Amino acid sequence: MAKSSRPTAFAVNRREALMLGGAALAATASAGRMARAQTPKRGGTLRVSNGGDPPDYDVLQTATYLTQFVGAPCYSTLMRVDPADYSRLQPDLAERWEVSADGKTVTFHLRDGVVFHNGSPLTSADVVYSLERIRNPPRGIVSPRRGLLGNVDGIEAPGPRTVVVRLKAPQPDFLFMVSNPFNVIYSKAVAEPLDAQGTGMKRQIMGTGPFRLGRAVNGQIYEFERFDRYYGGPAHLDKIQMFPIRGEIERGAALQGRRIDASFFFANESVLQNLRQVQGMTALRRPTPTFINLIPQVEKKPFDDVRVREALSLALDRDAFIKTVGPLAGAFFHSMGLLPPGSPHSLSAEEIKQFGGYDTLPGLGGNLEANRRRARELLRAAGVPEGFKVSLLARGDIPAFRDSSINIAAQLKNIGLDATVDVRDAGAFYTLETTGQFELVAHSVAIAGSLPDQILGEGYTSFGGRNYGKWRDDSLDTLYRQQSSELDPAKRGQLIKQFQLAFLKTYYQINLAWVGYGAAHSNTMKGWTALPDLYANMNLHQVWLDA
Amino acid sequence: MFGYVVQRLLSGLATLFLVALMVFVIMRVLPGDAAVMMTGAGAGAISDAELAEVRARLGLDQPLPVQFVAWSAEIARLNLGTSLYTGNPVIEDVAQRFPFTLQIVVMAMLIAVFLGIPAGVLSARFAGSWFDQILRALSIGGLAAPSFWVGLLLILGLVYFFQWSAPLFWEPFWVSPLQSLSQLIWPAIAVGLRQLALIARMTRSIMLEVLGEDYIRTARAKGLAEGAVVIRHGLRNALMPVVTLIGFEFSALFGGLIVTEAVFNVPGLGQYVVNAILNRDYPAAQGIVLILAGIVVIGNLTVDLLYGWLDPRTRVRTAKA
Repeated sequence: MAKSSRPTAFAVNRREALMLGGAALAATASAGRMARAQTPKRGGTLRVSNGGDPPDYDVLQTATYLTQFVGAPCYSTLMRVDPADYSRLQPDLAERWEVSADGKTVTFHLRDGVVFHNGSPLTSADVVYSLERIRNPPRGIVSPRRGLLGNVDGIEAPGPRTVVVRLKAPQPDFLFMVSNPFNVIYSKAVAEPLDAQGTGMKRQIMGTGPFRLGRAVNGQIYEFERFDRYYGGPAHLDKIQMFPIRGEIERGAALQGRRIDASFFFANESVLQNLRQVQGMTALRRPTPTFINLIPQVEKKPFDDVRVREALSLALDRDAFIKTVGPLAGAFFHSMGLLPPGSPHSLSAEEIKQFGGYDTLPGLGGNLEANRRRARELLRAAGVPEGFKVSLLARGDIPAFRDSSINIAAQLKNIGLDATVDVRDAGAFYTLETTGQFELVAHSVAIAGSLPDQILGEGYTSFGGRNYGKWRDDSLDTLYRQQSSELDPAKRGQLIKQFQLAFLKTYYQINLAWVGYGAAHSNTMKGWTALPDLYANMNLHQVWLDA
Repeated sequence: MFGYVVQRLLSGLATLFLVALMVFVIMRVLPGDAAVMMTGAGAGAISDAELAEVRARLGLDQPLPVQFVAWSAEIARLNLGTSLYTGNPVIEDVAQRFPFTLQIVVMAMLIAVFLGIPAGVLSARFAGSWFDQILRALSIGGLAAPSFWVGLLLILGLVYFFQWSAPLFWEPFWVSPLQSLSQLIWPAIAVGLRQLALIARMTRSIMLEVLGEDYIRTARAKGLAEGAVVIRHGLRNALMPVVTLIGFEFSALFGGLIVTEAVFNVPGLGQYVVNAILNRDYPAAQGIVLILAGIVVIGNLTVDLLYGWLDPRTRVRTAKA
């Protein structure tokens, strides 16, 4: 992950965001950017792909990128990730913000003159309604990311352009949490009556973003027209056409046949390799906050026994996993701990090596055969007989799930487990997984953001949305909350390390690899930067065509 | 004839009722929960209470017989319900997608019939010749190659050699007939090749049998032209099983286009039904299966009626029975 050590005048990094506030950030933003960029050309239609039809348009109710990709050009968030530096935020609807000395009150000052696509002005009431909808949704509305605002104690609007958020405890990552690309701001006047009916914003989009949704034909096309009253100035493009294309090979063919200009989501490496050969095409792969973990269901025997879970970890050759499954599933990276590769909070080699199986990561000098002998000993000690049958639940249509499971099952046979893969369709898979009706599951967990609160909070707490293994551990949750509210960077770093060490010891989840998503675009498309986060930088305001 | 049609219609309705019951039960027996899929497929912290509320809102907390009766009552009013996934009335979604599937099926069958029957007739007429040998080899290849594989080869071949890929916006036939035909010709070829091979083989086989019959020898002995013998006396009598096959394949193709539509990214019924099943979108999946079953029933009825037209003995036998 790209890290900036030096703050600039128009953006703020995670620490500065909280400690310095956002005053006067916007003033020099455009000047700084213009100095760096090529001169954009106005006009043209950008043609891009989506991975399929979005189930609906309600970004706040969804967890799928299919909806977020459609919503991103049309909506705004309070702040957004700086495309030039992933570790920093820049103003979006909030032109500046202040954080109180105790870190528990954040005041957002909204821009003047922002209007929704129907012409109504944005006010603080819209922001309060949207944030409350995330935190405490009305009856009939779901909120998959309510945990992001779990530390919020109250939200008020003391003035038409001022929003005050009171936190239960200081939270250095809060500004990034509230700026999650899914946390878009709705028009209260439009959303509230629809929410009261229980339908929400599923069938319409009413945002303040640089484009507004025009023609939408399910299965065919989603067309966005430039919104000339966008607060940041009209977008360079006249139009965006988004085509739902489910298959990666088909997406690659569409790019190669010049039917589309860009596709932002590839896992399959062979498709990207083909595209790299095409003249005038850029194909890249960037590390993404998505990890593939093996997750035991700890309520089921024998996985309630930590020795058995450690044995699973000892059995796995993570490098072999990447070499075989990686090209299909996009799994290309190792990490030293629970946070993404390159994180400042990565564990040292000595620290990670103390956990079973992680010493065979490249360059750490571990011995796989010795690990597997040790795994057999642990299984014997836990009373697990040779040839014990275990089942890996797998989703059949996604290589990151299916092929990962096949690879893991084969590896588990090396420690005397009779592992089989239970391949299910998406509907069955998610229901069985969510309700804990499995023994083992390999899950590719995609998270918007790579900060400790985002990754650890969603992925590794018992109250997070991804606790598929159904474990409960108050000490881990407490440790998470401690690091989350610690303002001193050095002390927080220590707490984050403690959390990782404590979690790894439990083997509630066993990390195999980190995913890097691919993207490919014609070289005529300019102004788009591939950020690690799949969801960020998709509003396409700055994108232009050099045709 | 009227009694025959009524009898076939009643049996069709009974079939549809059984299909409705079966698809309803199968969708409920399948592991999976529409509420889970509607609330982010487990990707967020959704509580059990919220899931229960979603189920209650959808009526999924009711006993199965109650749900079935409610659904059947709506079907009787020709209301297929609202898709849980798209939020649109199922009938609207189907109406938007059906024309593309129908057009592919019709084009594929036209390709298959207009090339398959002549190929089969010629193959039989010149049995054992090099033409027959080549045709037999090709037809076996056509049968062996899955249509999605042919589709993928077509897509990759066209991209590789001509930098051409399938269009992404599909014009309905009534909006732009020529463009629509040129767009859907590729999936129609991918699908039609198998039907072509099937029809050619069936026609050849039946024609070989028919051409060996006494009345064919008699016709030739009368001095009739070979074309008249083969077409008027041979093909007419060989057509019955071929028509049966065409009718069956025509109906079956509606449900068999799933993968081909996905390969060419055609927004037809195939992709819709896959999404419906994967997302446990009960109204959509049930509705579309019912529609496909209706198409099969109508297809079979049409074939039965054609039987009656082609062979009056069929009508007589049915009337006596």
